[in-house]
Amino acid sequence: MAIKRTLLMVVSTVTLLSAAVQAQAQDVVLRALMEDVPETHIIEAMLPEFEKQTGIKVEFEKIGYSDMHDKLVSQLIAPQSYYNLLEVDFLWAGEFPTAGWLTNLQPLVDESKYDMGAFIPSTVDLLGNSSKGLYAVPMYNYSMGLIYRKDLLKDAKLAAAYQQANGKPLEAPKTLDEYVNISKFMKQKADVAGAAMQGQRGDPNSMEFSNYLFAAGGAYRDGKGEVILDNAAGKKALGLYLDNIRNGSQQGALSATLDDTMRLMCSGKAFSTVTYWWMLPQLDNAEKCPAVAGKLELTTMPGGHGESGGWGWGIPKNVSEQEQKAAWTFIQWVQSKPVATARALQGHAPVRADVYQDPQVLAKYPYYKAAAEIVASAKSFPIFAYSAQYEDVLGAQLSTVAGGQGTPDAALKAAADGLTKLLKK
Amino acid sequence: MLAKSTETSIVASSLEPAPRKLAWRARFDRRSRTGWAFALPGLLVLAIVMGFPLVYSAILSFSSYTLMRPALLPLVGFDNFVSVMSDPAFWAATWLTVKYSIITVMGEFVIGLGIALMLNRTVKTRPLYFALLTIPMAMSPVSVALIWRMLLQPNLGIVNHLLNQIGLPAMDWLGSPELAFWSMAAIDIWQQMSFVILILAAGLASLPRDPYEAAEIDGARLWQQFWYITLPMLRPVAAITVVIQLINELRTYDLPYVLTKGGPGTSTEVLSFFAYRKAFLGLSLNEGSSAAFILLLIILTMTVVFFWLLERRR
Repeated sequence: MAIKRTLLMVVSTVTLLSAAVQAQAQDVVLRALMEDVPETHIIEAMLPEFEKQTGIKVEFEKIGYSDMHDKLVSQLIAPQSYYNLLEVDFLWAGEFPTAGWLTNLQPLVDESKYDMGAFIPSTVDLLGNSSKGLYAVPMYNYSMGLIYRKDLLKDAKLAAAYQQANGKPLEAPKTLDEYVNISKFMKQKADVAGAAMQGQRGDPNSMEFSNYLFAAGGAYRDGKGEVILDNAAGKKALGLYLDNIRNGSQQGALSATLDDTMRLMCSGKAFSTVTYWWMLPQLDNAEKCPAVAGKLELTTMPGGHGESGGWGWGIPKNVSEQEQKAAWTFIQWVQSKPVATARALQGHAPVRADVYQDPQVLAKYPYYKAAAEIVASAKSFPIFAYSAQYEDVLGAQLSTVAGGQGTPDAALKAAADGLTKLLKK
Repeated sequence: MLAKSTETSIVASSLEPAPRKLAWRARFDRRSRTGWAFALPGLLVLAIVMGFPLVYSAILSFSSYTLMRPALLPLVGFDNFVSVMSDPAFWAATWLTVKYSIITVMGEFVIGLGIALMLNRTVKTRPLYFALLTIPMAMSPVSVALIWRMLLQPNLGIVNHLLNQIGLPAMDWLGSPELAFWSMAAIDIWQQMSFVILILAAGLASLPRDPYEAAEIDGARLWQQFWYITLPMLRPVAAITVVIQLINELRTYDLPYVLTKGGPGTSTEVLSFFAYRKAFLGLSLNEGSSAAFILLLIILTMTVVFFWLLERRR
């Protein structure tokens, strides 16, 4: 009798457990740590549609960029990651695959016959993808350009004063020197900051400086991979960057982040900002930023090249196969032509070439033509296993010299040496 | 005879260690066993939550473990410590941490003692003041940093707006290498001071009244009463407060992380932030652990030195 009772208990427990496991299998919940930016909100609003189509629930945890890397790393090194869908910044695209944290997506692409050819090639390369493996599918692009106030350039009094001081008309800058000159002029004469700059040490200032570097004709490495950051072009770029942050930018630029610059531009207290191109619809918005709506223009970084950037979708290795398959289903859906176009109509920064050419998108956002140029001309920050650390190394040098400690040449040399050292690590 | 002597020696030998056994038994009697039984779950949790990370971190600091090569072996001896200590940023961060801790603890103590003395004389509204004072203490340092970051925002923040209203120039609170350190210290003092006030106020309330009455009869002035009665009697409580706060301040991480990310330059990079940089940006958990252990050593040294000085004065 006792044996029977025990047997019955074991059988019922096993049945219950297997039922629970099956139920769990049907209810895969995708969890992603996302940067709290408009792009995330656009996708989040479309998630019910995906859930309806596939039965897979998706949850976004939204935080600021600066906290994302550490939070992700602690999950990726754990036996099992809480996040089973990853938003991977291009700056981590060297580190994550090298550390063996990401699933190679190539077999999934092959199996599902997913068309990677629809993506702009530079957006795929930016994420460190190569013949060795495909670890991230482009999500959206965040190349940087210049947003400026066209109303201030057209102001008659300012135009006359600029003409008198510089002997040339006040118009959109074509070179980096011109841009810094106009920025300083605006600060002196227009009662606004010439440039809303994000000078906080780390990602903000190193990304911003990269635009100055590329615009001045400089580069981090030459074609052979040798570090050339501290050459003449690099010195010119740093000189102009320092000149602008000291004499053209807002007060507090050395502690400012992207959010601070956006608030300042939105309030109408700045002439320009070097920022991610998809910030334009956020600023050119009569409800949110009435002070500047209709007065803004987007262009490539004066000098022709800005900093390239982009996010990708990845899948961690340390999650179940079922979760990986669900994540891949989501990635295919969210980057498909119809969904990408629907996202673009709400301000998404596309990575698919066909979305930039979509008549509906161009009709709603004529500046996507300028955006396509920004994406095409942008150059990339060095992508390798220690990119995030290099941002901090470069950021510390920039911040130190901008704060008046040390010399520009010494800072640039230290930044170049730091890059050489990390590349060899 | 032999049997007798053997018997005697057995009896003697069984009697000899008895006092030690008894003492041990007395120490570990039933009551104390019950005590240990109650404490054991807590101690086990402590061992898991605190002991394991500490031991693991110690092993990491002597290993070659990095996030790029996550293997504890081979052990590298003191190489990680040498590498960390040969970085000029480490010494800058160490000096800054010590300076920061001394300044903030002094600020908290001096202002906190002043307010505690004032509260000691207030009777009716004291509970209200205490309730208000616990507000900053109840807030997490991250929330405090975020709030102050908004308040001190140079262009749109309320502090500069108020300064402008009274005709003073706006200040670059967190963007100036000279001011950022002091702004961070002031925010820290603002938050931590309430803890100091509460502890010192409790200490003041527990002081006996007799010495004061005697001093008043002898014609001692208020400052004399404070200097010769209050301060010496308050010393044990004050010492504990200072040590707790010193440990807190030496470990400061949240404020520089949220307010300045260690900048401008390295003007607010304290040692815990340096350790974080090594571990999570440099992906070198081994070097990060070494830096954290050096910080632990500094904390222990300063605590021991402080107590030693206190004992010597006594």
